[in-house]
Amino acid sequence: MIGVEYYVLLSMAVFCIGLVGVLTRRNALTFLMSVELMLNAANINLIAFAFYHGNLTGQVFALFTMALAAAEVAVGLGIILVLYRNFRDVDVTVPTTMRW
Amino acid sequence: MEGAFSYAPAIAAFPLVAFVVALVFGKWMPKKGAIAGIAATGASLVFSLWMLAAVASGETYHETLYEWTAGEAASEIGADTIGFSFGILIDPLAALMLVIVSLVAFLVHVFSLGYMNAEGETGLPRYYAGLGLFTFSMLSFVYADNLLMAFMFFELVGLCSFLLIGFWFRTRSAPSAAKKAFLVTRFGDYFFLLGVVAIAATFGTLQFAGDESFVAAAEAAIDDGGQLFGFDAETWVTITGLLVLGGVIGKSAQFPLHTWLPDAMEGPTTVSALIHAATMVAAGVYLVARMFGYYALSPTTLAIIAFIGGFTALFAATMGVVKDDVKQVLAYSTISQYGYMMLGLGVGGYVAGVFHLMNHAFFKALLFLGAGAVIVLMHHEQNMWKMGGLKDKAPVTYYTFLAGALALAGIIPFSGFWSKDEILYDALIVGLEEPLIMAAYAMGLLAVFFTGFYTFRMVFLTFHGEPRSEAAEDPHPVGWSIKLPLIVLGILAVVAGIANLAPVAKLANVDITFLEHWLDGEYGGIDEVTYSAYSELLAYETGVISSEQVTVLIAAGLSLLLAFSGAGLAWKLYSDPEPTAHKERLGSAGTVVEDNYYQDEYQVWLAEGVTLPLARVADRFDQTVIDGTVNGVSTASLFGSSWVKRIQTGIVTNYAALLIAGFIALLLGLGVYGGWF
Repeated sequence: MIGVEYYVLLSMAVFCIGLVGVLTRRNALTFLMSVELMLNAANINLIAFAFYHGNLTGQVFALFTMALAAAEVAVGLGIILVLYRNFRDVDVTVPTTMRW
Repeated sequence: MEGAFSYAPAIAAFPLVAFVVALVFGKWMPKKGAIAGIAATGASLVFSLWMLAAVASGETYHETLYEWTAGEAASEIGADTIGFSFGILIDPLAALMLVIVSLVAFLVHVFSLGYMNAEGETGLPRYYAGLGLFTFSMLSFVYADNLLMAFMFFELVGLCSFLLIGFWFRTRSAPSAAKKAFLVTRFGDYFFLLGVVAIAATFGTLQFAGDESFVAAAEAAIDDGGQLFGFDAETWVTITGLLVLGGVIGKSAQFPLHTWLPDAMEGPTTVSALIHAATMVAAGVYLVARMFGYYALSPTTLAIIAFIGGFTALFAATMGVVKDDVKQVLAYSTISQYGYMMLGLGVGGYVAGVFHLMNHAFFKALLFLGAGAVIVLMHHEQNMWKMGGLKDKAPVTYYTFLAGALALAGIIPFSGFWSKDEILYDALIVGLEEPLIMAAYAMGLLAVFFTGFYTFRMVFLTFHGEPRSEAAEDPHPVGWSIKLPLIVLGILAVVAGIANLAPVAKLANVDITFLEHWLDGEYGGIDEVTYSAYSELLAYETGVISSEQVTVLIAAGLSLLLAFSGAGLAWKLYSDPEPTAHKERLGSAGTVVEDNYYQDEYQVWLAEGVTLPLARVADRFDQTVIDGTVNGVSTASLFGSSWVKRIQTGIVTNYAALLIAGFIALLLGLGVYGGWF
């Protein structure tokens, strides 16, 4: 029986990897993958605590999160496609015109 | 008579229906809405007479019909609720006035058939709609049971006068006269509104009659001897009474707000008849009579009313002396006659004031309609110097006009004599004790001379002598619709005095003062709004010269003597076949009177020389200080935001970083204040 604190540590590690990816990478695809990592970190947390408490609510939420992540990826890929069509590049620092 | 009063709302509703019908369908109706108006005012007249009969049989009516809103309020005397409502109050005064208004309105409608329709006017549906709305407003005003409702219909009456005075809006002068009438009366109404608010805030009620009335509340407050808004109760009653009086002075064309009335002659003559005899101008004096109990509580207000009335009576009468336009003479006589009514009410002569209001309604409607007939006869010429010789060519017009003129001049035994004499008698007996009232009486008495003079100057110039223009030689014939109202009103002008032969009653000691008994509620009345109830409130001392009979004789003799000498002077000067103007004999005084004592000029100067610069200063303050502050605030925020917006780089990574930094800062903050560390 592995203690819940290890799951939390794993989840934290995965989340931080994702966070660093979001903050440092410029490629939009890497960006999207980093976001996926962060979402999965949250899933690990949910399932770990669901298991720890012995009810299924956390697992159900994890399922919802996956569905949401799938939708998010679909939309994100669409945006990336449009980004590429307009700028011939997938660097997120290039399109800065959508501000004031 | 059981149930008669449940039909009371119909009296006002008929003309309202006529207004809608004339406005919507008038264009396609055979007489352009006249039939609807005649039918409606005729029905109102019948119903009003029914109400009169019901009151005579000893019943009165006081009912709230519709309550706008009622709620809690903190009034000065401690009443904690207030309601704003529409209600009907039919007491002897209201019933009498309903009959007068509906009768005059009915006759004016009939007269209009000959005056407006026969002349091929355009816009007749608009004219009849205006008359209908005017009648509706006035009738509703007359039987309003509270001050707020009275105020609303008072305003509506003002609006209708605006619409009708400006009927010929394509001319230059009519719209300007209409605007002037509207603005000048509105100036007075502004004070009236303040008065309504003050009375509501003080007493928490606006009812005219009943236990809940503001009159009763004011009386109780004065008896308590307490303070209202930091004033003595009586002082406060005086202040609010004077505020309401502002509206009266505007509407009843008393000095100094009388200037709109002569200009209002720009409207059709029938409208002048309606305005002067029964509606607009009468509304002011009627309001004083309606809330006479309130004024009776304050001797100061009454004295002011009396003095304004006496002064206006003389002031306007002198201006009427030099006018050349027949309608202008009548306009100044109206101002003067309403001055008499104010004088009568101001000296506590409630019956005398109402009596003169009634008689004046008949003879002034008669004179205006007579003048309208003369204008038709003369092919729309109004200058009296171009008339003359109409006596034999239009006998019906002449004799009815003469009856009205004799009543106006106050020649015994025509109706005007009895009421004017009663006013002057009431003023005299009070004046013997109070010097100020004596001065008002003296002015009123002197005005009798001028009244006699200008009235007969008008009669002689219009009807006597030789024709002085082609139109006068060959007058346009007038039809039955013009003659019939003249005859009805002519008869009334002669006989209406019978209603209250007070001097005869005092001299011969017979009981023939019917109007006094009527207003005293002896046939039927509401206790607190009767003449005797008012008399108890009045603080005037009265005196007599040796005995009551002698005083009556002296008062009547003096006014008759002056009326005859005025008329005699007019006869001497103007009864030639070819009369000449005597204006230059007056010298510089004549010029001053001719220019209406420069009243218009000084009021224009007040507007242009005082109000306009003040408004400019206020405007500058508004433009610089107020707008400057607002603009300054917006400039500062614009400048600040131009710096803050740089935080938005457009690079999504930066936003994410900011988000995370914010989250961490929040966590740290929570940690520090939540005690994790």
